[in-house]
Amino acid sequence: MDAFFHTFFDVNQMLAVLPTLLTEGIKNTLIIAVSAALLGLVIGLLLAVMMVSRLWFLNIPARIYVDVFRGLPAILTISLVGLGLPAAGIRPFGSSPIGYAILAVALISAAYCAEVFRSGIQSVDQGQMQAGRSLGMSYLQTMRKIIVPQGIRNVLPALTNRFIIDIKESSLVYLLGLTVGERELYFIAHQQQSITYNSSALVAAGLCYLLMTVPLTYLVNWWDRRLRSGRRRPSAARIGLMEG
Amino acid sequence: MTVATETDAPVHTSTPAAIELRGIHKSFEHREVLTGVDLTVAPQEVVCLIGPSGSGKSTLLKCINLLQPPTSGSILINGEELTAPGADANLARSRVGMVFQHFNLFPHVDVLANVTVALRTVKRIPKAEAERIARQQLERLGLSAHVHSRPADLSGGQQQRVAIARALAMDPQVMLFDEATSALDPELVKGVLNVMRELAESGMTMVVVTHEIGFAREVADRVVFMDGGRIAEEGPAREVLTAPRTDRLKEFLSQVL
Repeated sequence: MDAFFHTFFDVNQMLAVLPTLLTEGIKNTLIIAVSAALLGLVIGLLLAVMMVSRLWFLNIPARIYVDVFRGLPAILTISLVGLGLPAAGIRPFGSSPIGYAILAVALISAAYCAEVFRSGIQSVDQGQMQAGRSLGMSYLQTMRKIIVPQGIRNVLPALTNRFIIDIKESSLVYLLGLTVGERELYFIAHQQQSITYNSSALVAAGLCYLLMTVPLTYLVNWWDRRLRSGRRRPSAARIGLMEG
Repeated sequence: MTVATETDAPVHTSTPAAIELRGIHKSFEHREVLTGVDLTVAPQEVVCLIGPSGSGKSTLLKCINLLQPPTSGSILINGEELTAPGADANLARSRVGMVFQHFNLFPHVDVLANVTVALRTVKRIPKAEAERIARQQLERLGLSAHVHSRPADLSGGQQQRVAIARALAMDPQVMLFDEATSALDPELVKGVLNVMRELAESGMTMVVVTHEIGFAREVADRVVFMDGGRIAEEGPAREVLTAPRTDRLKEFLSQVL
């Protein structure tokens, strides 16, 4: 039992790695996760609008993108982007792996965001599009001003959920080989563990992840409940559809 | 269009009809909903479309502003053909106001923004001017106290009046009403009908799909009875409603009156 505690909960080991985790690790984890999430949101929204389009040259490519990036293991996508692109001479972010890491996580995130946005957009009553068009607004203007803002509101909890996954998936970029200063939580702990053969650093990193993800999880739950219960009266149009 | 040919001279004046529908057919999948409708509406005329549900009156209304483009046939608004290739449907729609059965207000913004959004995005009117126009319309419809309310916090009658204000703010040449009072509680119907009556009296060209036969008799210049996707009978409101010629209309009126 002593060995167990020593392996996972050695306080000295934890304290040794903690400053690096807090100053360097959390910062880089958040840089990767937040940048990837934002980029993923933008690409995802674009994909969603393409997916609900009736034009095949818009909806089919978007559909394929989503199927591919949702279907691949994250670690494979990260390897392809982070190791593959620079090796192929495509180096938009120079030699630092951070840019590739962000891009890879964003590409994955975008596929999931796209599905979330699509369901949000399709949950908006059809009468909203008719009303916008009847006023002379174009399809895209109605999408931008009327449909998308309402669709996003319904899926904010789901998007936050995706951000939690982005935080966790950012750990996979360790395989790109980060240098001092750009290491994220898992990489730091992993390095420490491979030197000391003691897992306490990993436990410390784990606590850092939980520090970020658990409060977010509760935020999502609270938000979701509020959107459901505090929702204003359902629109007459929807009641009408159910009755008719 | 304004040039009258000898064989096809306009009956009344040289000004084009507000709305002219020629040979409108509309099919959904394999079901033909409109089977050849011709209808001309003069400027300032108020036409009520009545008929049993499924007769195609709402579909016909939505054909007029191309919300549901006809399968074949042509549509002219003030002599401009909307169905011509290359016609700007968005521009045409901005000149045709429409009021829906279920209001279809934008629930995520307040009343004022409901009215200004099209002014700003379609007509590119600056914010302050758009809000001035919107407030003016809202005041006209007795909604000044609700400028900053959310649609969901208003009664059905108020919501429908906001929807009318939203359409009127675009300064339309024609207004289309699609069963505008059907979704309202009975005590709220009158208020909305009064607004529509005042609008008619102010000289607005209107096409009104309605089940309110009393309103049709009182306000409409002409009543068009639709049945089975075509116009079964039409004429001056009083004539058509008090002395129907076809058995089908007699039967319909006996059921709704």
